[in-house]
Amino acid sequence: MRHSIMRFAMLMRLVLAVGCLLQAASMTVSAKEDVDAALEQATKAALDRISPVVVQIRTVGGLEVVSGVRKGLGPTTGVIVDPDGYIISSSFNFASKPSAIAVSLPGRQEPLNAQVVAQDQTRMLTLLKVEANNLPTPAFVPKSEIRLGQWALAVGRTWADVYAGPPSVSVGIISAKDRIWGKALQTDAKVSPVNYGGPLIDLEGRVLGILVPLSPQRDDETAGVEWYDGGIGFAIPMEDILAVLPKLKQGTNLTRGLLGIRMKSRDQFSAPPVIGEVGPGTAAAKAGLLPGDLIIEVDGKPVSRYAQIQHILGVKYAGDRVSLKVKRGDQVLDFPNIELTGPPQATALAFLGILPMRDDPEAGVAVRYLFPNGPARQAGIRPGDRIVRLNDQPILNRLHLSQVVSRLAPQSEVTLDVKRKDADKTDKIKVRLAELTPELPEDELPEGTLKQALAPQQPLVLPGGGPGGQPRPGPMPQPRPMGQPPRPRPGRDKQPQPKPEVPKGVIQHTDPATGHAYWLYVPENYDPNISHGLIIWLHPAGDTMEQAMLRLWQDLCKKHHLILYGPKAENPTGWLTSEADLIREDLRKIAAEYTLDRSRIVTHGLGQGASFALYLAFDARDQVRGAAVFGGALPNLPRDLSGPPLSFFLVGGGRDPEIEAFRAVKPALEERKFPVNYRELPEHGNGYVTDPGVLRTLMSWIEGLDRI
Amino acid sequence: MTRPIPILFAVVGWLAAATAIRADVSFAEVVRKTNPKIVKVYGAGGFRGITAYCSGVLISPDGYILTVYSPTLDTRELRVHLYDGTRHACELVAAEPQLDVALIRIKDRERFKDLPLEHFDLSQPPPEMKVGDWVLAFSNLFEIATRDEPVSVQRGVISAITPFAGRRGIHEAAYRGKAIIVDAITNNPGAHGGALTTRKGELIGIIGKELKNALSETWVNYAMPITELRDFALRAMRGDYKPLDRPETRQVVDKKPYHGLVLVPDILDRTPPYVEEVIPGSPAARAGLRPDDLIVFIRAPRPDSPGELEERVIASCKAFKETLAGLDPGMTIKVIVRRGGQLLSLDLTLEPPPPAATK
Repeated sequence: MRHSIMRFAMLMRLVLAVGCLLQAASMTVSAKEDVDAALEQATKAALDRISPVVVQIRTVGGLEVVSGVRKGLGPTTGVIVDPDGYIISSSFNFASKPSAIAVSLPGRQEPLNAQVVAQDQTRMLTLLKVEANNLPTPAFVPKSEIRLGQWALAVGRTWADVYAGPPSVSVGIISAKDRIWGKALQTDAKVSPVNYGGPLIDLEGRVLGILVPLSPQRDDETAGVEWYDGGIGFAIPMEDILAVLPKLKQGTNLTRGLLGIRMKSRDQFSAPPVIGEVGPGTAAAKAGLLPGDLIIEVDGKPVSRYAQIQHILGVKYAGDRVSLKVKRGDQVLDFPNIELTGPPQATALAFLGILPMRDDPEAGVAVRYLFPNGPARQAGIRPGDRIVRLNDQPILNRLHLSQVVSRLAPQSEVTLDVKRKDADKTDKIKVRLAELTPELPEDELPEGTLKQALAPQQPLVLPGGGPGGQPRPGPMPQPRPMGQPPRPRPGRDKQPQPKPEVPKGVIQHTDPATGHAYWLYVPENYDPNISHGLIIWLHPAGDTMEQAMLRLWQDLCKKHHLILYGPKAENPTGWLTSEADLIREDLRKIAAEYTLDRSRIVTHGLGQGASFALYLAFDARDQVRGAAVFGGALPNLPRDLSGPPLSFFLVGGGRDPEIEAFRAVKPALEERKFPVNYRELPEHGNGYVTDPGVLRTLMSWIEGLDRI
Repeated sequence: MTRPIPILFAVVGWLAAATAIRADVSFAEVVRKTNPKIVKVYGAGGFRGITAYCSGVLISPDGYILTVYSPTLDTRELRVHLYDGTRHACELVAAEPQLDVALIRIKDRERFKDLPLEHFDLSQPPPEMKVGDWVLAFSNLFEIATRDEPVSVQRGVISAITPFAGRRGIHEAAYRGKAIIVDAITNNPGAHGGALTTRKGELIGIIGKELKNALSETWVNYAMPITELRDFALRAMRGDYKPLDRPETRQVVDKKPYHGLVLVPDILDRTPPYVEEVIPGSPAARAGLRPDDLIVFIRAPRPDSPGELEERVIASCKAFKETLAGLDPGMTIKVIVRRGGQLLSLDLTLEPPPPAATK
């Protein structure tokens, strides 16, 4: 019996051993199950914890389409950041510029009116304020504690249940830190308009950051939306938001801090960071940085590529400081604590006071006309003289000169090399530049074209000097009129050039795919060797006015070498901002066919078309040089107003019911240093202005658009 | 002497059984067990954005299949591929366009008499679900699997459980009930009719068609909860399903209720609904509305349950007109306006149109 007990004990030991083995095997499975269950529980607990601070935002009014993206009308999300009713959200949610914003707090039946307090334009955040206090605020995770690969929950409150129920959630991990030039966390949780403005939280319900759309390429409110739900989502770290919250609460809009330099090379990843240009009046100019300086250290960190500099500057705001160390020749110079400036809100452009001769293949710029009070005339330059260099830099043609002058500050002194008319000598003339004025040239101007637009550009040969003179550090821009043939470059196919034989007269065009339509009037005397101005006629709502416009403009087009282009709005109710893309596409097509003068492309509109003409002038800033409008109202102006010259010609009718809105356009543009010609006809209503005097002045204005 | 052996086996057997039960809930095991319950459906289509394939779930041992109602099913050539690669001709049994759901069955069901199919048992009430629950989605999205290849499995969590206004192009979606919104990209071509399960493999929803959320202009990933479809499926299998009464028509007849508000001229894409004028003595005047008030919300009785108020954002003048057109004279609604930086709620009783307005 004892024996059998012994055997039984042995057997039991065996059983236990086998049991333990099996138990161990099952443990790995149940451990997995426990982890799953625990994560699921943690997700829900985190959601419960964050829920009281996640609010729903609804808006009234505003634009339907923003930057080509159709904006939903639906609710969006925000996060309470202060007990006194401050709520942070994504600027995407207000990109449509709504008239009213209502915020629903969790657990409260009545929505509250919200005001926009301020925006952080670098991180696309908007701070709202509602009348409430003792609100709950969330805990947050300091940046130093955020780890790659940790769990991250994207939370929103946009689905139907406004006043009760949990917020929505998407589960992911932290994919990266310091994204978009150091500004954002990246997550693979699904981020979209459903949760933009909501929090990205950890499993303890603490806020890691606020969800926003961002793009490394663009910086407007809708940039990055194309990546929604794609596993690439961004959040601005809460720590960074709290750091600037006091400033935002005071109503200060935060903008990007800029040095105001342009690199010599466009290659930001491998070329050494040599300064190519220093913008007038910028932080870099004030600090004394010069073109040719090689940046070797930023805030004490050694740098060898521009991308590294951008990583350090990318997180900084206007008003923040940066310290640079640069190499200039053999010297190493320190520039400590440079105060960065925001994007220029108003930049007056410099003015030489000449009209250049057009379609001139010879190097330099022949003077066609001198403005009576312009600096060039006062310095003794005469019609027919040819400007061949500016500050020893050879000038290729009028577009080159315009570009060089527009990058100089008004009041700066320049030295011109002027080849005198009828005399084989070149004088050096000092000129103090003025500010670009709305001054118009006289009615009767000398012929403006040499009719050789298609002739190849001649190289610069100066008496006594080699070709091109002294090379300047930095790339030399080589502009050419739109459509003018480029100089052949080795290894490249010829780019399309305007054809000698093209359709003239009235041309109708309808895109078979999109249905987008336009008409074009090319004067019968069109000559591809004369560069033509382009009038983009934007008709009032519901009436293309094609016949009336043709009657009025046919002779003007012939006389002043203009092409009239009339796109048709898709809707009878008028233009949508999204149609700007179609117009830009048309412009490319027209430029490929006809010789266009890039400096005389003008938007022209009446009524709702006038408002759109003003919008388009800013939206297509790279192509449009002027807007001539009869009535209309000012659109929202872009944040960065720097760019090539842009002039305005405004005519209002004293009997236009919308005259008050129109009157506000002039001071708003002048405040931002744009040249404005304004007149009001007391007896006129809101129809097209056919007064011959006004049209004659309009022609002078168009003639003067390529002034330098 | 002989006793310990059976005990040994009993203990070992018990441990093994415990292991098997626990192993059940690992994803791999759930997927292995669920895959045979999913079928690949092939029918008409291949044009105008309608795929010629979709997914379906087996809900009986003899080949009844629940799937999404679509033109794909509209063919005599309807067939399914089972998990084992066998092909079977099918027929449509019943469809409920309002629920966007359909029941089909394998024609030759005799062959499964002795070899019953793995299936989801709808006779049991489905499990509770909550936002944050982990889920698995099974479907033949993009027709990645053919014949005996297992369908694609995705993992996600329930983001929300909510009705939403879906649309496809300009067409409003038929399904208007609650939907399970998930954070995996589940709703792709051919995924409709697939299964959404708990992480333990219990069926909680049928993956719907591709739809955009009309409010946010983004694609939605969702399933229709099985709670909403179960009654249809059980009745249709018994053969006694009667289609739901169709709502009269979605076209709203303008009842022209009189309020006495004149809004600013509607000239923009979304003209903000500012009050321009309040006609003296009108219902709006009695309600206390004033010029320059901005209308933000209207709370009006729900069409399906008039005792409850439904809140609508009045995002534009157009939205105001559309909302009012559907309301009955005599109704009292709440108009929430912004005045002087505050939101005010005002009670407005609508009246029959005055004679001048009806001529």
